Amino acid sequence: PPSPGRYKPPATETNPALEDPTPDYMNLLGMVFSMCGLMLKLKWCAWIAVYCSFISFANSRSSEDTKQMMSSFMLSISAVVMSYLQNPQPMSPPW
Amino acid sequence: MKNLYIFILVLFIPWSFSLAKYDEFEDGDDIMEYDDNDFAEFEDVSEDTVTESPQRVITTEDDEEEATVELEGQDENQEDFDDADTQEGDTESEPYDDEEFEGYEEKPDASHSKNKDPITIVNVPAHLQNSWESYYMEILMVTGLLAYIMNYIIGKNKNNRLAHAWFNTHRELLESNFALVGDDGTNKEATSTGKLNQENEHIYNLWCSGRVCCEGMLIQLKFLKRQDLLNVLARMMRPASDQVQIKVTMNDEDMDTYVFAVGTRKALVRLQKEMQDLSEFCSDKPKSGAKYGLPDSLAILSEMGEVTEGMMDAKMIHFLTHYADKIDSVQFSDQFSGPKLMQEEGQLTKLPETKKTLLFTFNVPGSGNTSPKDMESLLPLMSMVIYSIDKAKKFRLNREGKQKADKNRARVEENFLKLTHVQRQEAAQSRREEKKRAEKERIMNEEDPEKQHPCPCLQKAALRREQKKLEKKQMKMKQIKVKAM
Repeated sequence: PPSPGRYKPPATETNPALEDPTPDYMNLLGMVFSMCGLMLKLKWCAWIAVYCSFISFANSRSSEDTKQMMSSFMLSISAVVMSYLQNPQPMSPPW
Repeated sequence: MKNLYIFILVLFIPWSFSLAKYDEFEDGDDIMEYDDNDFAEFEDVSEDTVTESPQRVITTEDDEEEATVELEGQDENQEDFDDADTQEGDTESEPYDDEEFEGYEEKPDASHSKNKDPITIVNVPAHLQNSWESYYMEILMVTGLLAYIMNYIIGKNKNNRLAHAWFNTHRELLESNFALVGDDGTNKEATSTGKLNQENEHIYNLWCSGRVCCEGMLIQLKFLKRQDLLNVLARMMRPASDQVQIKVTMNDEDMDTYVFAVGTRKALVRLQKEMQDLSEFCSDKPKSGAKYGLPDSLAILSEMGEVTEGMMDAKMIHFLTHYADKIDSVQFSDQFSGPKLMQEEGQLTKLPETKKTLLFTFNVPGSGNTSPKDMESLLPLMSMVIYSIDKAKKFRLNREGKQKADKNRARVEENFLKLTHVQRQEAAQSRREEKKRAEKERIMNEEDPEKQHPCPCLQKAALRREQKKLEKKQMKMKQIKVKAM
């Protein structure tokens, strides 16, 4: 039986960052790899950075800032493009 | 006129003679022989070639290459030969006679190849080749990215469908029990949105309120991360299932003071470690629920036996036995404050705020491979939740139970105060020590200008101050030693 009292929801999560740190870690990793790829001219670093930024985006919360995601994504894409402009040769496998 | 004729005749005769000679003797050698036969032996071969070559140039065809080849062939052959066999006449028609040049068959070929530019095949760098095959690693990477994006879209849609299937199944029950179903907190007035609140691609929230005895109910649909390919691959190693987490916040007056939990043994062990209230109030290990007719998979954690007795009534047992596979944990607690917080050293914290809460965690059947139809099987569990709310309101401890409960809570508070007291003492001590040090430093700084006074009446005082300084220095040394320790 419904009661007349009605309430609004409280803050649904007090510490969402505590629960799942994956998007933050992946964001950071992506930035680190893209900087490595740019500075050391390593193509595989740049590709891993692209993957990291995608994973970070997939795991992100809706409340998170899209600017952060976009900046990480753009940085990784720029790392890939710059590596190929500097050295157009294809990537060689490690084996 | 006569003189002119004579002159012409005179010119004509030697000219005709020379012509006749040339016709008869085509071979230069013969001419030479004819001219100076005696001296033919002493003639150099090179002179012969010199005389021969221009003639050969004249006599041979227009093809210059052949001529040059012939010439060079001739030169080389001439260099190798010491004999003057080339003076024979047969060589004129052919550039060189094979029989004469035994063992030097390769030489003409060598001379051919030497003249032409050496052909070396240079390796074209891979990126300049007009083939995509050399970029196979890049193509692999891009394919991987595309696969990730595809999985993201598929996973997101599946989670969405599951969430809406759940909501459609439960909507009636919720709307009959709660006045407010669905609220995202943005509206000023509390109006029912009737929609799930999407927090993530895999987490959906629903806030229900407007029922007797409870403040509100927060339902969280915690699905698996189907949108993340890495997670999908990890789940192939370790199967997991979607979870529905329901947190009912009770009004203060509507629930008595007790802590009680029932669920799978694994879940209870984990909760006992993680949860603040369970670790403090339920010190015993999870007990088997077989005593009450529960299946072996379920265990009970309780503050006291009376609570268990009170909670395990027939209907609850019925619910728990029938849906044991779907139940992960059920927790009733008046001291609920969430998981244990990691406290840093030196930080004083007050007792965390507690709320009277009923917490339910259910596993969606299918262990990952759920379909929207599976959501219907969760409906009876919602009925169990509502029954529990009513039960919690009705259940009251008797006097003994209440005393025990109060004792437990007082004990926990005392322990906490003790801990914090020790911390407070330490903080106060460190502050005192710092003040003392600051004072000493001030005294030290004040004394230095006073020393400079030559007045003898102050000498004694100065001596005393010097002594004090020494003592303080010693104290400082001791403190430094203590610090180093």
